Amino acid sequence: MALNTLEFHLKIDEVTHSIDTPIHLGVVGSGDMEVLMEPKELEGAVSVRIVTPVAGFDELWKRVVEKFVSETLLGNVHLEINDNNATPAVVLLRLRQGFAEATGK
Amino acid sequence: MPKWKDLQEQSFLESDARARAIGLLDEGTFTELAGPFDRFYSPHLEVLGEAVEFDDGLVAGVGKIGKTPVFVVSQEGRFIGGSIGEVGGAKMVNTIRLAIEFHDELVTKYPDLSDEEKPVVVISFETGGVRLHESNAGLLAHAEVMDQLQKARHKVPVIALIGSKVGCFGGMGFVAAATDAIVMSEFGRLGLTGPEVIEQEMGKEEFDSSDRALVFRTTGGRHKYIMGDCNALVANTIAAFREAVAELAALPVAEFEKLRRIGSPEAVERQLRGVALAAEMQPKDARDVWAKAGNPDPVALTDMPLGEFLAGVKRLSV
Repeated sequence: MALNTLEFHLKIDEVTHSIDTPIHLGVVGSGDMEVLMEPKELEGAVSVRIVTPVAGFDELWKRVVEKFVSETLLGNVHLEINDNNATPAVVLLRLRQGFAEATGK
Repeated sequence: MPKWKDLQEQSFLESDARARAIGLLDEGTFTELAGPFDRFYSPHLEVLGEAVEFDDGLVAGVGKIGKTPVFVVSQEGRFIGGSIGEVGGAKMVNTIRLAIEFHDELVTKYPDLSDEEKPVVVISFETGGVRLHESNAGLLAHAEVMDQLQKARHKVPVIALIGSKVGCFGGMGFVAAATDAIVMSEFGRLGLTGPEVIEQEMGKEEFDSSDRALVFRTTGGRHKYIMGDCNALVANTIAAFREAVAELAALPVAEFEKLRRIGSPEAVERQLRGVALAAEMQPKDARDVWAKAGNPDPVALTDMPLGEFLAGVKRLSV
């Protein structure tokens, strides 16, 4: 019944870059989520913390965040997500939006 | 963070809480209090396994409009209907409290400040009232907000803005009614018992909540403007609401007494005359009251452009 918390570290081999300022994006509406992205010294890795009411999709979460990290070459960033039943497509969209806002791209 | 300039002409109805808070204040002056990075989320929802939000669905902050320090509270309707729980409630209470303390400090230090330079509180409502998951804490928060409104009276004007999707219903409808001035757009809705709840309790014959036209002419901005339940009706942009706040902020605090709906013997008498009128008229529809207020063609009032409406409409006086 309680909320599920997923935590993991991701590291890719390519050259990575961080973000300059912390950003917050999104509203935890139904089928949506919010994300905090903060620069953090993690030796090039990305740390992720996800809080979600949905159980049993740990692998899928990991794959979505992996895709995001490998396409943005992000490193030294801490991501914190509050989810409310967002689909993988929405998750990826919000993460990309957050990245665009953080880097001005 | 959204660009301030883009926000100005953005639909108030469709703006999220943070966009409203930022856009209502002067560019670059918004400082968020207890924001998402402080991670004050609801401990009750967590226990119940319900999704949480880092700001608990309420954006609080401080900034300026012109020379006026503005304390702003903005509710997010997409997070559990903008409902007020323990954390969001505490943020609301303490923002008003801060504004009062700031006012007291300011007038002691600078006794000859102009009205424009004294602080105001702006609350952008988008809520159905108490968050049922946190019932007692939510109710207590409502009582505490009311308490702060009383303390702010004659010192810090509290201005309610209503023009968001969810409207302003339930306990927060009471809170809005107890503020000093209410600004609405025609898409804003204000009431105590929401349309769905009336239908559920009294039946579809009494109130059909799927009838959008009926809902809007009973709870919407145009009706509330005619009834005197709101003080101003503005266009559906953040800039229009911001302009209305700027105009109100320049008024002496005593002027707000005339804008209030409750809280004085005169206001109570006016309310009672309204009740007597309703008993005498037995209106079947909001349009009956619009006609009584002196509008010969009440049906046309619903669809005419806002400018035309504001220029020609007669407001009810009792």
